Amino acid sequence: MLNIKELLEEIKASPYEEVEISVPHTGIVEFSDLKVGDKVTGPTGEWKEKPGTVLAKLTRERNTKSIPAPEKGEIVSIRHDLEGKFVEAGEVLLRIRHFLSKEEVIQLILKKALFLFNAPEKAKYYFTPEIDTKIKGSGERSVKVRDGLELFIVSRMKRETPLNYTGPEGVIYAVYFHNGDNIDGGQPLIGVCPEDQLKHIQDVVTRVQSEWEERD
Amino acid sequence: MYSGEHRVLIANRGEIAIRIARACIELNLSFSCVYTEADRHSGHVRFARENGGSKSLYCISSYSDANEIFSVADSCGATAIHPGYGFFAEDFRFARRVAEREKPLIFIGPSWWIIRELGDKINTKRLARSLGVPTIPGSDKPIYNELEAVEFADSLFAFQKEQGFKASAIMVKASAGGGGMGIEEVTDPDEFRSVFRRIRNYSKRQFNDEGVLIEQRIYGFNHLEVQIVSERSGQKHVHFGTRNCSIQSSGNQKRIEVAPGFASEDIHYIFNATSVLDCITSHSLSMAQEVSYDNVGTWEWIVTPRGEPFLMEVNTRIQVENGVSAAISSISGQGKVDIVREQLRLGLGADIGYSQHDISLNGLALEYRIIAENPDRNFAPWVGTIERFGWVAEDWLEVFTQVPTDCEYEIPTEFDPNLALAIVHGDSLEQVRKRGIEFLDGLELRGVDRAGLQLQSNISYLKEKTSIILEF
Repeated sequence: MLNIKELLEEIKASPYEEVEISVPHTGIVEFSDLKVGDKVTGPTGEWKEKPGTVLAKLTRERNTKSIPAPEKGEIVSIRHDLEGKFVEAGEVLLRIRHFLSKEEVIQLILKKALFLFNAPEKAKYYFTPEIDTKIKGSGERSVKVRDGLELFIVSRMKRETPLNYTGPEGVIYAVYFHNGDNIDGGQPLIGVCPEDQLKHIQDVVTRVQSEWEERD
Repeated sequence: MYSGEHRVLIANRGEIAIRIARACIELNLSFSCVYTEADRHSGHVRFARENGGSKSLYCISSYSDANEIFSVADSCGATAIHPGYGFFAEDFRFARRVAEREKPLIFIGPSWWIIRELGDKINTKRLARSLGVPTIPGSDKPIYNELEAVEFADSLFAFQKEQGFKASAIMVKASAGGGGMGIEEVTDPDEFRSVFRRIRNYSKRQFNDEGVLIEQRIYGFNHLEVQIVSERSGQKHVHFGTRNCSIQSSGNQKRIEVAPGFASEDIHYIFNATSVLDCITSHSLSMAQEVSYDNVGTWEWIVTPRGEPFLMEVNTRIQVENGVSAAISSISGQGKVDIVREQLRLGLGADIGYSQHDISLNGLALEYRIIAENPDRNFAPWVGTIERFGWVAEDWLEVFTQVPTDCEYEIPTEFDPNLALAIVHGDSLEQVRKRGIEFLDGLELRGVDRAGLQLQSNISYLKEKTSIILEF
């Protein structure tokens, strides 16, 4: 049985993570008026539809893309030396110290509580068309999986092969990738909850929600 | 026009990026390479760093993101883009954008309207039929509707039954596909629907188009190619002979290519091989003339065991195996041709400067695609780290590779699994086979995967198949 109290104490001892903000593609960088120590907000709204604080703008082929903060937190470093310059993909612009939210703590604990079906090798993963349609229509928790079910398509080196699920029967409780993402071997693709443990998982969620105090 | 002051942006990776960069240096052109994080240790990155000077290397998010390519082109001051093979090489929308954007660039490849015309297998078949060029019987438009597809497939099966075929079979292909991708055979009419859906879904994922082509299956054929080279005017066309690419893996991926397409001096064919080669070359040139083809391209054919040729498709790009044709060709007796260099030179607007009479084809050449894969497990790719890669240098051998020979190299999983191309030249079939085996015997290729298992490669497969090249 999962020791929730111990896990929560462990997370409380180091309740933040440092998030690196890098450019998703090439372009010319223009920073917003921000400095080290400033607080920024992450996406908000019921569906996270309102983007976070704009950290910088990246212009490529006459298109300007805002780079919003992916999480709320505090700026710990900014590369002001890149202002107005052409940058290559992956260049780090700034770092944010982010304190974990309830939802993130729940996700961290769920990763320990659920059965994780991991990517067997580095490749692009897709759900099979039938499963994909079901998830899009009714959500991942509408999909029941069992050992041997053809669940994924693995695309690697110009080849596509089907991948069967192996593990306990249950519902897909969490999906950790987007169709077509390149996933490293060993990284989780889905978290499966056996139906008889759904109540226990729900208890974990309730407990974190009542015990975890969010910080700015 | 070609002025020698161009900067060419190489929108590709691996060995072809190195070959293009080398051709740029020979033509006194500046060049810039791009790479993604997964390719940080690829040989093309090192080549650009060591030979390209300033503005020669840029990290991008993806080779398939056109905006990345244009963004780098503007930053480095490129005047032309060479797409290599794969990625944007046969994307007419990309070629059109290169030529018609606010800051136009030269697309090193055929003009966009020619790519559009010949890039689709079905359009190509229509054009071929209008010129009396034989094509494989099948659908003459992309089929999107499942019921229509089933009806068409049933009619082909019924035709084969009427004709008394011993084994009925049809091919289902992604209309927008190429390079052997998205092709499946159906022998049981009851399985057709599931194959059709699979190819349609695959085509949507890989090519963003659900069109499917249905053709009659032809057994025991040889896969031949004609290498065409044309200048920008679209009026002067030459060919650099034929290639035979019949030795392929189970997934229709080429493993050994040989030039010329047949060896009638060394092998007895039941048909007139010289006449077949002349026929496909002449048809390919006539189509190139008809569409005013204006750069390098390959006409792909299948030849039945009875010597009947059918046009399969046109590849409007430089192909992986261009080097095998180059190895047997010379212009006015001036040694080997470099087709990549010719593509660049002509793409930038230079006159071709020679005619078919100046081109001679000498001896035979074969190309091995050296790949970390397991031929006994359906050519499953092997992924791990190459610890040692080396070969014995010979004057009859050329090796093109992005794998460093002086340090370890982790094979990226995002791309084509080719490690190297080795081109072996000889005066006769016997000599080229002997040299091929000599090269493979001397090849050192070692590696280990994350589980500590030894590298798997197709070398034993290549050795085995060397003895049957050019045979039916």
